[in-house]
Amino acid sequence: MVNLVNVTVHDFTFQYDHAPRPTLNHVNVTFPDHRFSLLSGPSGTGKSTLLKSIAGLYPEFSGHQLSGTITLGEHAVSDIAASQRSSLVTLLFQDPNQQFAMDTVEHELVFALENLQVPANEINDRLDKALAFIGISQLKHRTLTQLSGGEKQKVALAIIVAMNSQVILLDEPFASVDPEARHSLLLNLKRLVNQGKTVILADHDLTEYETIADNVFALDSASRQIKELDRDERYQLFQPFTRPLSQQFSLPQQQPEMMSVQDLKLVQNGRLLLGPSTFALMAHRATLITGANGTGKSTFFSALTRLTNYTGLITYQQKNIQKIRRSRYATTVNLMFQDAETQFVNVTVNEELALSIKHSQTNFYTQHRIDSMLADLNLTEHRNQVLYSLSEGQKKKVQLVCMLIMGAPVLLLDEPFKGLDYQSLQVVAQLLKSAMTELGQTLIVISHQLNGLDGLFNYHLQLRDGQFSYQEALG
Amino acid sequence: MNPTVKLTLIMVLALEISFTQSITMNVILTLLGLIYLLIHRIRWQTLFYFLTIPGLFAAALVWSLLYQGTATNHFAGVIFSRMYAYVFLGGAFSLTTTPYQLAQSLEQNAHLPTKFVYGILAAVNMLPRIRREVATIRSAAQMRGVTLHFWSPVLYFKAILAALKWSENTAEAMTSHGYVEDTPRSHVITISISRCDYVTAVSLFILLQGILFLPVP
Repeated sequence: MVNLVNVTVHDFTFQYDHAPRPTLNHVNVTFPDHRFSLLSGPSGTGKSTLLKSIAGLYPEFSGHQLSGTITLGEHAVSDIAASQRSSLVTLLFQDPNQQFAMDTVEHELVFALENLQVPANEINDRLDKALAFIGISQLKHRTLTQLSGGEKQKVALAIIVAMNSQVILLDEPFASVDPEARHSLLLNLKRLVNQGKTVILADHDLTEYETIADNVFALDSASRQIKELDRDERYQLFQPFTRPLSQQFSLPQQQPEMMSVQDLKLVQNGRLLLGPSTFALMAHRATLITGANGTGKSTFFSALTRLTNYTGLITYQQKNIQKIRRSRYATTVNLMFQDAETQFVNVTVNEELALSIKHSQTNFYTQHRIDSMLADLNLTEHRNQVLYSLSEGQKKKVQLVCMLIMGAPVLLLDEPFKGLDYQSLQVVAQLLKSAMTELGQTLIVISHQLNGLDGLFNYHLQLRDGQFSYQEALG
Repeated sequence: MNPTVKLTLIMVLALEISFTQSITMNVILTLLGLIYLLIHRIRWQTLFYFLTIPGLFAAALVWSLLYQGTATNHFAGVIFSRMYAYVFLGGAFSLTTTPYQLAQSLEQNAHLPTKFVYGILAAVNMLPRIRREVATIRSAAQMRGVTLHFWSPVLYFKAILAALKWSENTAEAMTSHGYVEDTPRSHVITISISRCDYVTAVSLFILLQGILFLPVP
């Protein structure tokens, strides 16, 4: 008999240390059992906070609960013994790099099942079934640090399946997952709901949820409260995400080359990840790079910025990049890292901006322009804040502004839209467009998120089976 | 051999040679370590490093003791051979036991608190990430026109910040995967200490004590 567990949040108020105001303010909401609930809302409005509170991680690890209760079925989360909690509720984290404590996929699964005191003779069976359910049996013996972001999220979901928790919480789980993998993960979640699980998923990118989500909730950024959307509101929310992706790209013909790649080969863990591949990157244009998880898109950026070894030749304006002085090359080809915190050199938002302004290679970004960029991205009131205390989406936006101000001839962007709400996404797309048209910057973008970016990209470079090729269409 | 027994034996022997001055003992321990490593098919390159690198340090020590200090030849010999004994004893453990095996054994055999065991294990698993993180931090700063040298405080600030954040996230991830301090866990692999382990360790230890009483240097 399946246990039915409503997740009820009653008058819940939560505030972080040193935060000027509560992140969640007297929130009342019920996530019904046996349903797929989608929680939407702009970045930084407290979706992660709510999920971590439901999972019982907060306030144990951070912040203060100022009022209210969260109950799972009949029991308050705070009253459930920690050892019982994870069989009732488990959270899949936003950052794929921070889900695991062990070295390999198998060890992590064993660790989780041992924690639940699953009898030793059942562990291997349960582990294999969970991996098969998600379709990643082949990853069983792989080292976790060598998996791609998307593969890690699949492993994290397989662990939840193995743990057999009644309530499954997911915090923007698809931010670095390619569309195919995302689709299969969503179908798996739906299968879990049909088996009687309760799924609560927070996301900004609402593609595909219209048909999958049973209930849709929105977190309002002004009131810091949550409400369930009715049919009309649902329709409006999903509207921007339902247009079919019919983007068309040109094929590069007469465009001058900025960088070129000849017989590039990338090897990872003794396995040929990419190549040999030969192609060019076009000057003063925006090129979109797509490809499934783990195919080597980020590693390709690492090669372009000399962060990883490769064989073959990469040139910048006909010059071998290995022959250019490292410090000069570093300011010529900039990389916006997938993880925003990696980018930061200083402590506060203002200091970080000041550093970029000091070393900027252009005078396009005047103080006035920067102020209005920050205003458009809702960052003005965060200017004195410590970078590391911003939400993921806010960090991403600060990171982008800083890298744009640098004004390097070539800017590589690795998942720059990760964690951005729809409105911010539009602003960011506009900023990138003007950097390209008005500054002549060359943009190379890896992104799984494609909705709301119509007309930004000139070219589409697809990575498939270890080969890069320019394509006119997506998919 | 059971990792806990092996670790205990090696620690005791290493402690013992720190307080005794027997060249013969040091040489025998070095040879035992070498034989053990050869049985476990150590890579030739590693063996080469094991043989050469400690030699450099040991020679430097001996040189300073003999020519800058007042040590006897015998004491210099003890120091030289002790260095090799440490390296081979250490290698005999670390090259034949994975951190995962050690953690499981410490948890099940030595009954250390799981918090300690898995905390250390998580930290060990983080090492490759820390190395990569430092390279990335330097490159990220360089892209912003800032060169971070190995003595730059910013480099350490960033590395420590990353480590702090990871430790917190790892704790959250472990909790989310059902880990709770001081609660019983099941074990998919039961690690036991066999009678043979005990007998080997104890008899080896006793036999080695005999050397200390022999009339050899």
